[in-house]
Amino acid sequence: MASIARSSLLRQVASAPKSAVATKPAFQKSIIANAARATAFHTTARRPLLPPLPQKVEGTVNDAAPVPPTDPSHGSYHWTFDRLVAASLVPITLTPFAAGSVHPVLDATLCATLLIHSHTGFQNIIVDYVPKYRVPRARKAFSWGLNAATVVVGLALYQYETNDIGLTETIKRIWKA
Amino acid sequence: MIAQRVGTTALRRVAGKPNAFITANNLARSLSTSQTRPVATQKISADEARAILDKQRLQRPVSPHLDIYDKQQTWFGGSIWQRFTGSAFSGGLYAFGIAYLAAPALGWHLESSSLIAAFGALPAAVKASVKFLAAWPFVFHAFNGVRHLTLDLGYGMARQTIVKGGWYVWGASFVGGLALALFY
Repeated sequence: MASIARSSLLRQVASAPKSAVATKPAFQKSIIANAARATAFHTTARRPLLPPLPQKVEGTVNDAAPVPPTDPSHGSYHWTFDRLVAASLVPITLTPFAAGSVHPVLDATLCATLLIHSHTGFQNIIVDYVPKYRVPRARKAFSWGLNAATVVVGLALYQYETNDIGLTETIKRIWKA
Repeated sequence: MIAQRVGTTALRRVAGKPNAFITANNLARSLSTSQTRPVATQKISADEARAILDKQRLQRPVSPHLDIYDKQQTWFGGSIWQRFTGSAFSGGLYAFGIAYLAAPALGWHLESSSLIAAFGALPAAVKASVKFLAAWPFVFHAFNGVRHLTLDLGYGMARQTIVKGGWYVWGASFVGGLALALFY
């Protein structure tokens, strides 16, 4: 009789808290209790790389998300340009290996292409790891620092190409030294 | 004795005891058709409500740590090593370029002749090691770069092809690096 005798009403009575109903709103409970309850659902340790930024809503919750201003350079042109530069480095790099000697113009082309490839590569790294929304000033500093460094290195490569023996020949002679 | 009757008898017994939840008043209220919600509310301003929400949102879980992902994909997939090797070479190029411009002012000798002489003076084992440490990332970046360009064109996107291609590049880059370091 035990199971059929237990009507749902009885079960409710048995499980109801003795001290009436919780009168405290949920947000008044301590943060620690909430965190402990949340971690019970996590199967991995909580090891955030970076703490979350202030989770504030700009304006009101009913405002539409802002649409950034459009610009032709926001398309995928820079991505295609990166790939074209990378692909063009293959024949430029292979020619000295195949031919055995280097024309200064080819060496200058190699230096210029390497500089562009390095610059866009560093740009991608900065865009990926120094996000504007989190560290806007560091992002600006890194971007302009890279621009300055690229100009300086371009000047240095020009000096090296015109006053010294050139990049390919240097590597070749060091390799044979 | 039917189940319902047992329920009501028990209920009557419970109701007879002093109990904060089941009082005659509460019972009557729960049996009536009108709704009552025994939850206390308090008036707060819109700003306070938003501050509470902001605090609540900070409790949400953040993106998981890198450690949780498959090691084979994140550490040996080739993609991040393309970046490592590339930034090592580009960083070297930038460092050399800046040092080359600064060399006259600092009294350093970074002309090709002194670089070649300095490298030539090293012991053979050191020379071979340095050459391998330069040749392996070079071959890796070249092979993996071509692989990535192929993937960018949409070829070889089958899962097994990607996994195998990654391991081929690792193997080929070690062989190529050793060959360049020892036989050239």
